[in-house]
Amino acid sequence: MNTPTQPPVIELNNVTKRYKDTKAVDGVTLRIDGGRIYGLLGRNGAGKTTLMSILTAQDPETSGDVKVFGQHPYENDAVLSRMCFIRESQKYPEDFSPAQAFKSAALFFRNWDQDFADRLAEEFALPLKRRIKKLSRGQLSAVGVIIGLAARAELTFFDEPYLGLDAVARQIFYDRLVEDYSLHPRTIILSSHLIDEVANLLEHVLLIDNGRIILDDDAENIRGSAATVTGEDSKVTDFTAGLPILHRERLGSLTSVTIEARLGTADRARAAELGLEIAPVSLQQLVVRKTMAAPAGGAGVDPRTATDPSELEVAP
Amino acid sequence: MNRAVSVARMQLINKWTFLGIPALIIAASFALTYAIWLMVPNNVETRYSGASQAVVWYFLALGIQSLTYTFPFSQAMSVSRRTFYIGTTGLFAVVALAVSLLYFVLGRIEVATNGWGLNGQLYFLGWAADSPAAVQIMFNFLVMLALYMTGFWFATVYKRWRATGMLVVWILIAVALVGLMALAGWQGWWPQIGAWFAAQTPLSVSGWTALFCAVLGVGSYLTLRRATP
Repeated sequence: MNTPTQPPVIELNNVTKRYKDTKAVDGVTLRIDGGRIYGLLGRNGAGKTTLMSILTAQDPETSGDVKVFGQHPYENDAVLSRMCFIRESQKYPEDFSPAQAFKSAALFFRNWDQDFADRLAEEFALPLKRRIKKLSRGQLSAVGVIIGLAARAELTFFDEPYLGLDAVARQIFYDRLVEDYSLHPRTIILSSHLIDEVANLLEHVLLIDNGRIILDDDAENIRGSAATVTGEDSKVTDFTAGLPILHRERLGSLTSVTIEARLGTADRARAAELGLEIAPVSLQQLVVRKTMAAPAGGAGVDPRTATDPSELEVAP
Repeated sequence: MNRAVSVARMQLINKWTFLGIPALIIAASFALTYAIWLMVPNNVETRYSGASQAVVWYFLALGIQSLTYTFPFSQAMSVSRRTFYIGTTGLFAVVALAVSLLYFVLGRIEVATNGWGLNGQLYFLGWAADSPAAVQIMFNFLVMLALYMTGFWFATVYKRWRATGMLVVWILIAVALVGLMALAGWQGWWPQIGAWFAAQTPLSVSGWTALFCAVLGVGSYLTLRRATP
């Protein structure tokens, strides 16, 4: 999709967004070449929506250099018309129905596919003639998801698109997203905190915490980048000595340590000798551990001292 | 420019907001006024009514509504603030011009039918009767535009600075008015001010209204430029 002469889809250089005394986005430098499905992961309030708002010029940056399709997006219709961002809390004109919102989207998105929108509306069982303000939270999310998919914008953002959607509707969204993406390749940025659910869709992961990008890597690379070693305490400690530790917990006589390191065949053989068990770490686990181990994240708790497993649960 | 036209078309997707409700208000205000005239015993004096203003005040509400509800949606439609502004105010200007022309025509009918057969005066601008037709139409148009831009600007201020912004704006307006009145009283300017108002013609009033619209228009645009959805 991108020949070398084309600029990357997104280029951010030291971008900051300040609200009064907090920095929602803090010195982000990022390059997204595009043509893939990106996951923008992070806790609530980590800066996901703010970052997407900056990229779509809905809420301009305080400082730094923002380039989308090689240009600054603010008040730039040429750039804006190539992207689509439906906010999680999107507002619609008073008394609009979903059908009218789609009619409107057809005016602005040149690749808009009305048939596709109609099919999706049917699958989500969305009442097209009902006023949007009378829709349930799930139906409201469906309106945004349908606009995002049927717009087929070159750069599409989905901001926590699943709120209020039941498990079946979420699966429909994931399936249609992947299908349509393979037929019409484009750049998709999906913000989510339901990481396990979207893990298989993502080709690239961006993890944001406290307004900073703390992980930016291919999903493929990430999958093998960490492991959990479980076994007798002293042996685990020996084995993991000198390796970057993301998390340690004790369950009775067993110790379980999550390390951020690639284990080779030799390491695995040595672990087997010591009677240690090595398990892969899911993307969600890795995200949780990395977020909590991040310097400013988790209120500065050193992961090695946080041994009570209940402390490590993601807030319900 | 195409996208500004699309913004206008988006505003018209719900036909009621810009077309249906104003038409209904114009029709209802005429019907009610006519009914009242029928009920009041006839006499030879001209009966005035301000009911034709009703739709003009709706435009104030429309200015607020088109910003608060449609602006955030236009952002999701990947429309720049400038394009949204041009498309929305442009559409409004067309609607206001159409209503002004309608009022002018109705005013002529009113005169020709001897006040709808009841000696009433609803649309005909008596005080501007000596001015050319264009000035009468322009006066109506500018008043509607001024009210719309007022609503639009207040909504933009609210959008950007929320309740605090509203509070500060109203306090500033009140302070400025009280200050000017105090200044006029202290300097003994009231007679001149009265004379100045008395000397205004329909054309000069239109001119001042146009200036007011221009200031509000620029103010709205500058405020909107940094507004977030």
